[in-house]
Amino acid sequence: MGFPVYWMVTTSFKPKGDILSTNPTIIPRSFSFNNYVEAVTKEGFLRALINSVIVVFFTVIISLFVALFASIAVARMKFRGKRTYVASILLVQMLPLAALLIPLYLLLSKLNLTDKLAGVILTYIAFVLPFVIWTLRGFLMNIPVELEEAALVDGCTRPQAYRRVLFPLMAPGLVATAIFAFIQAWNEFLLAYILLSSQDNATMPIWLAGFTNRFGTDWGPLMAASTITAIPVVIFFSLIQDRIATGITAGAVKG
Amino acid sequence: MSLGVVGQSVARKTNIWPYLLIAPSFVALGLILGFPVYKLITLSFERYGLTEIIAGAGVFVGLGNYREILWDPQFWLILRRTIFFTAGMVSVSILVGGLLAHLMIKMHPVIRRILNAILILVWAMPQLVSISVWRWMFSFDFSIVTATINSLGFEMDNHNYFVNTFSGFMIIGGCVAWGALPFISISIYAALTQVPKDLIEAAEIDGANSRQVFRNITFPILLPVYIILISLSIIWDFQVFSHIWIFLESRPSADYYTMAIYAFQKSFGLSEYGKGAAISLVMILALVGVTGYYLRQMMRMGDE
Repeated sequence: MGFPVYWMVTTSFKPKGDILSTNPTIIPRSFSFNNYVEAVTKEGFLRALINSVIVVFFTVIISLFVALFASIAVARMKFRGKRTYVASILLVQMLPLAALLIPLYLLLSKLNLTDKLAGVILTYIAFVLPFVIWTLRGFLMNIPVELEEAALVDGCTRPQAYRRVLFPLMAPGLVATAIFAFIQAWNEFLLAYILLSSQDNATMPIWLAGFTNRFGTDWGPLMAASTITAIPVVIFFSLIQDRIATGITAGAVKG
Repeated sequence: MSLGVVGQSVARKTNIWPYLLIAPSFVALGLILGFPVYKLITLSFERYGLTEIIAGAGVFVGLGNYREILWDPQFWLILRRTIFFTAGMVSVSILVGGLLAHLMIKMHPVIRRILNAILILVWAMPQLVSISVWRWMFSFDFSIVTATINSLGFEMDNHNYFVNTFSGFMIIGGCVAWGALPFISISIYAALTQVPKDLIEAAEIDGANSRQVFRNITFPILLPVYIILISLSIIWDFQVFSHIWIFLESRPSADYYTMAIYAFQKSFGLSEYGKGAAISLVMILALVGVTGYYLRQMMRMGDE
């Protein structure tokens, strides 16, 4: 189960001679940082890292803001059309991304947003929104309405009640969903591959795909680069894993 | 009578807030998801190639694209291949994931924590990272899998696993299923821990045997979780693109075409966007039936 991860990390620390060997050993014989040096000095690493950070940052911030508003409406208010709105959120979540590539590409090229990070950010926001709204709604439902009502009775306006009472209580939920959006935006490959054509705009997954060219694949540096790409996700993932798993299935279990 | 009217208009006034709150998300989803779906539908009835891109408008051809696709034997071959491939990945990942979850419940807590940590680690692997590692494990030169098979006494020397499409799809599907396992087994494990212990004890005191306990208590609680996981897996696995694309170095042969790759090649490869759109729409429609149950289940949660 864990072997591929083990094999990635150990390969990344092996010297070239041990990697290009017809008798690979499960337990590494020697140790070297060369692959990492080669990976980070490979053309485009810094650019890809910066691009990924930009994309992730804006995706997370904007989607969280937009979703926070929407989730308050869905979890706390009654309004006409709510059922349709909720249904459409769940529905779009199931749209196969691969099937939408064509119109998305044509739309963004008409808006002059292909090969621009802004175009990718915009699509990422839309793609993480349904899940983020749905999850925030779940967190909100677990906070008793009485707390806000008490604040209103004590003379707070509604925005004040949200800011002083609701948001602090929601902080853990916001952090968890922010990390979820982070992971999605950091990992996404297909959309970025279609929308970003120039190397200057490559994100980390695109950069990783670039290790294979006509002449083959440089496995050692690729494994080092893969390890580097995975590390932030591993760190953030271990922080939220239990929340995401229970969040998705809890409702189904309750029936 | 008049009082009722006043009450209504007050209610309508206070009701503007929720619409303001959902407006931004509505605009974003409408622009990036809603409009493309609409565009996909209209495109599928148009001839839209390089000339039309430059002209900025497609030429209406009615059902022409659909007729051409549905009359093409390659389409049916690819559809069948995609269904088999999806069925294989879904069943393997659900069976192994379920098995792992049921084992985890019975495990010693220390071993369970170790297994859990490994699952999280696998779960955290970005798609491109896991594809890269699997490609390395099954590469033509210096592959650890080939070396292991050789050391067991089977002489393979260098072996290209992708010449044979069956072994190729096995490896690609294995990589997909491996990536999906953690989510599946952790979800089922979470559901298993929700099965109330006192309920089982009470049933046992009343004389129920273990099969009856499973049939009447555990199974009804687990069923919706399994159904949701199976629906989600079908949605995800049916549209697998990046795995096939990268395993075959961005130029898969026609033997490796699945629906997603086929639609992509038709549009971005051959610049026949209308036909690509028609294929994509067939893909969405094929998934609608399967996902119907999932949607209903989620809607029930939305009503709470």
